[in-house]
Amino acid sequence: MQEAELIERAELEGAFVGRERGLWGDAFYRLSRNRLAMAGLVLLFVVAGIAAAAAYIDTVQRYDPYSDQIYTALQEAPSWGHFFGTDNLGRDNWARVWAGVSISLQIGIGTQIVVLIIGLTVGATAALGGRFTDNVMMRLTDVTYAFPDLLFIILMRSVLAGRDWPVISNPKLQIILAIACVNWTIIARLVRGQMLSLAERDFVLAARALGASPWRVVIQHMLPNSLGPVIVAVTFGIPIAIFAEAALGFIGFGLPPPTASLGRLVSDGYAYVQVNYWVVVFPAAAVAILMLCFTFVGDGLRDALDPRSR
Amino acid sequence: MRAVKWLLPLGALVALLLVVVACGGDEEGGTATPGATGTPKPGVSPTAEAQAPAAQQQIIVQSGQPEFYDPHRSNFEQDIAIARALWRGLYQLSVAADGGIVAVPAMAAAEPTVNGNVYTVKLKAGLKWSDGVPLTANDFVYGIQRECDAAVASPYQYVLGASILGIVGCDEYFTALGTTDAPLTPTDAELQALRDAIGVKAIDDTTLQVTLLAPKPTFTTIMSLWAAFPARKDVIEQFGDKWTDPGNIVTNGPFILTGLTAGAGGQVVLEPNPNWALEPKPALRKITIKFIDDTEAAFRAFQTGELDITNIPAPEIPTIQADATLSKEFLKVGAARIWSVEMQMKNEVIAKPLVRLALSRAIDRATLVKVVYNDSFLPATYWLVQGLPGFQGNAAFEDTVGYDPTAAKKALSDAGYPNGEGFPTLTLTTLDRPDRKAEAEFLQKNWKDILGITINIQTVDAKTRSSTFNTENFELFPGGWQNDYPDPENSLIGLFDTDGGNNHYNCSDPDIDAKLAAAGKETDNAARIKLLQEAETLIVTKLCGAIPIYQNAFLYLVNSKMAGLKPNGQIDAAMPGNWCPECWYVKAQ
Amino acid sequence: MGPGPAGPHTWVEVMTAYAIRRVLWLIPVLWAVATITFFLMHAVPGGPFTQDRSLPESIITALNRRYNLDEPLWKQYLHYLWNILHGDLGLSFRGDRDVSVLIRDGFFVTAQLGILAFLVASFFGLALGVLSALNQNGPLDYVGVFVATVGAALPNFILATFLIVIFAINLGWFQILGWGGPEHVGDLWNVSAWNVKKLVLPVVSLSFLPMAYIARVTRASMLEVLRQDYIRTAQAKGLAEQVVIMRHAVKNAMIPVLTLMGPIAAVLVTGSFIVENIYSIPGVGRQFVEAVQRRDYAMIMGTTLFYAAIVAVANLVVDLLYAVVDPRVRYG
Repeated sequence: MQEAELIERAELEGAFVGRERGLWGDAFYRLSRNRLAMAGLVLLFVVAGIAAAAAYIDTVQRYDPYSDQIYTALQEAPSWGHFFGTDNLGRDNWARVWAGVSISLQIGIGTQIVVLIIGLTVGATAALGGRFTDNVMMRLTDVTYAFPDLLFIILMRSVLAGRDWPVISNPKLQIILAIACVNWTIIARLVRGQMLSLAERDFVLAARALGASPWRVVIQHMLPNSLGPVIVAVTFGIPIAIFAEAALGFIGFGLPPPTASLGRLVSDGYAYVQVNYWVVVFPAAAVAILMLCFTFVGDGLRDALDPRSR
Repeated sequence: MRAVKWLLPLGALVALLLVVVACGGDEEGGTATPGATGTPKPGVSPTAEAQAPAAQQQIIVQSGQPEFYDPHRSNFEQDIAIARALWRGLYQLSVAADGGIVAVPAMAAAEPTVNGNVYTVKLKAGLKWSDGVPLTANDFVYGIQRECDAAVASPYQYVLGASILGIVGCDEYFTALGTTDAPLTPTDAELQALRDAIGVKAIDDTTLQVTLLAPKPTFTTIMSLWAAFPARKDVIEQFGDKWTDPGNIVTNGPFILTGLTAGAGGQVVLEPNPNWALEPKPALRKITIKFIDDTEAAFRAFQTGELDITNIPAPEIPTIQADATLSKEFLKVGAARIWSVEMQMKNEVIAKPLVRLALSRAIDRATLVKVVYNDSFLPATYWLVQGLPGFQGNAAFEDTVGYDPTAAKKALSDAGYPNGEGFPTLTLTTLDRPDRKAEAEFLQKNWKDILGITINIQTVDAKTRSSTFNTENFELFPGGWQNDYPDPENSLIGLFDTDGGNNHYNCSDPDIDAKLAAAGKETDNAARIKLLQEAETLIVTKLCGAIPIYQNAFLYLVNSKMAGLKPNGQIDAAMPGNWCPECWYVKAQ
Repeated sequence: MGPGPAGPHTWVEVMTAYAIRRVLWLIPVLWAVATITFFLMHAVPGGPFTQDRSLPESIITALNRRYNLDEPLWKQYLHYLWNILHGDLGLSFRGDRDVSVLIRDGFFVTAQLGILAFLVASFFGLALGVLSALNQNGPLDYVGVFVATVGAALPNFILATFLIVIFAINLGWFQILGWGGPEHVGDLWNVSAWNVKKLVLPVVSLSFLPMAYIARVTRASMLEVLRQDYIRTAQAKGLAEQVVIMRHAVKNAMIPVLTLMGPIAAVLVTGSFIVENIYSIPGVGRQFVEAVQRRDYAMIMGTTLFYAAIVAVANLVVDLLYAVVDPRVRYG
């Protein structure tokens, strides 16, 4: 999961500078001009739409992704009866892939929401709380960054497994929290950097000179202007989280059966790839497509929010 | 042209996928070409087929990564496999003419003379260690004392202790320092006295005398195990913990350790011991054992020719059966391992006998084995595995606890949960591995369809799973038992008696306790086996703590150039036929 | 950051002070990591001797006594810290081997894999990015963008799976078991210790994703630099175009790429567990996860601290390099 940092930095290399005025309208206009980004957005909606349809409409889903185990149709290649083929227990891959898309999106987005909350809190506190708080927060960030993600995730999952605690026992939530807890450092550093540079800006100094309370300054002036790169980072963070969950599933710490995220489908299918590679190909393609969409949208957002045009 | 820009990558991705399709290997699911099963061929001379010249007598074998090369610290099968190639005990387990397992004299000259509790064993003449030093009875004394020494902390000490073989003084010496909460501080002299009081003595260089707490028919069997291997006092005292390193190590078995790369991905190299006393002498000049815990990776390495013998994961069976070459190299060996769904008897719902009966009768074992394991295992309603003395088999239990959806529904209904109404959701705890998950998903659906009950599946890693079991923190737990040695007492005593160390499902039944206690004391072998059978009958018909589902098999791929393997699932560990690695050889091409 | 403190402070002095401050900060950070790891790992269910076939109490007592696990937790913690200060990382429960030796041997292999992957990713990534930018919207650009996009969209274990099935099993070009390089430092110059057939697939599997990102960033950065005025100025002056490009454009285009090098180095050098697992490579990444799975306490602590130290040092090196390359950066 150091790859998360790699990917985020790569996408953010556009070297953000804070904006002087909220340019959301302008940004949206520029985004809509970006064909790639719009194509990605449209595809994303289509994919999410089909996944949602499959969850509620039986004719779209065609089979139940978990309990329709047809033992006479094991490991089949794609056919009219099974668009994506079947898996080792005779379950329909089409249904499973769409269920997987839905779960992966939930995990990806859920993770980023948590990341956003933690990252904003830590970053803002660091930037605005004075030198000592800044030091403490940054050391906390360092420790989290240096801490091997995998160990933390394994430990967290192991400590929580098998306990009957009310909310935290939900495995999806555990995975979301686990991935979020190791990936918030990027957002935190970003927010801190943004806010630090904004704090010196004229419009902020002016607001404070006019007697605005610190809170108001933060919420009304600084936060909106920091959000640009943060939004971009969060957008790129979604597929990273999906990847991370897949990797976790690969080493045995993923979601419990029978729920299957895309990553899970791929890593479970890895055991059967020489018998029936379709089991891996379709979820892998789904992961790739989601990744592409988020990448294009993220690129578009970055270009739209960046004062320097391409 | 912008639109083309994204169409192209996506189109090319599809093209990539098509390439994958075109280059995919043979595909054909379904019909199986049955692989060879492991029926040992007794009495076949190891040189039955012509051997390849010495330069080609080298093989590469896969096993899991061992912990220790010290036989008195060996715990898991990969450790034991190597220990057995390097050392031999007084007796060794081998396959008899009728296919059964017998303990034949190895270092010993003959069967022991028994006088009450005292067993006297004479060693063969002229035995030597690999460095030429004569092998004496003192080496066996030292080995057994070592096994009972808490400073060594052998995980198999209990086999020589009161609960199994019962060598006098072994447990007393082992617990001399007390427990963590109540430590004892004996003086050095007291410790030495306890050590000397262990019931094993060298009457002379070739005579060993072992004193037990009570006579045991399993004496020669236990003396075949790695726990009772001999050890060289001078070597161990000289090199300390490094005594098993190549160059320091001294062995009395068919091979000696000449190379070692520790750690994951490492390997050991075994070469023939020039002073190996018995027959046959090893034909192989070199065995390289590579440590690969991931059987998927091992399977792929076998396909590229980088391994000659390997364990394979069950999910790959269709791939193997679909391939012309691989299907001939596939080896399936029925194992001394029974798999079941263990149930926590302290749970109030599970405590009801009719509920357990319903759960058992609703499991379609045959389909489970077929769909999840490609028919490589044996559906079972019994606990004592095929190959053990006292085996009763499905015939005895199929009608009582076997698959019968109607009977299952009725049992659940009689228990007060018609169609599963009011039945609480139970949790099934299993390992996060493709085959175990598939099994759990199958059971979940099976029980839902027939009984209407809901099961939650919880997947954990190996240590957490073991911990869940040991702390009795489970409801339903797929688990089983693999025999340490081929005797039915090992399958039952300690597992189903009320205070049994492995009885974490809390099976507690006075009848079962009585039978097992009686079997532990019985000296007549036939009577003892009968008592154990009766115990099994009670355990299975009452489903006391476990619902048997299948008997495992070991699954291997063996390069067709290999010969001389005599696989037997009762006594093999980690490799096929590894009870006699000196029997292996490479055929002449 | 505001203006620097008063007095003569050369750039070298400032950077050295900064570097020293960062290194000193390493100590409390590592201590925090060690402490959290220590107590967390003892909180996880199951210990090193937990197994399905329950061991009798007396055996567990003997094993705990042998490894000092029968002491109260705080005492074990203090012992461990004391030992670390003396350079003793303890023994692995598996074979009683020295943790520092195991990590050293494992890191030797992982570093080879990481360095090779780094070189491959950098070389091909940069080449692809530069060529794509020079050929913008041409066929080479399409190929470059495609490869970079696909590479960034495939998790490395998917890629590895297909590589193995196609190139090793079906075509038989490569081998997949173990590491194709020397496993001991002494064998580094020993030609027979290198087996190229085994090196290719693991290195490709590991380097593909970073290569894709380097290519994308390089391309974007190149495109931007090529539009800059000073490039046009140089072109107007009539210097050979190639010289212009190589000297000015590439060098300036590299600056943003450098920000990637830290995370890339961390990813590669600490070892991708998945790649090491798939190819049975005896590296540190694999040692680490196996240690966690087996509750091998000393090994967990050792690999965690090692990992944390490497990541911190890699970041420091990159931050320093960034300052060297881009004179606008100041760490006052």
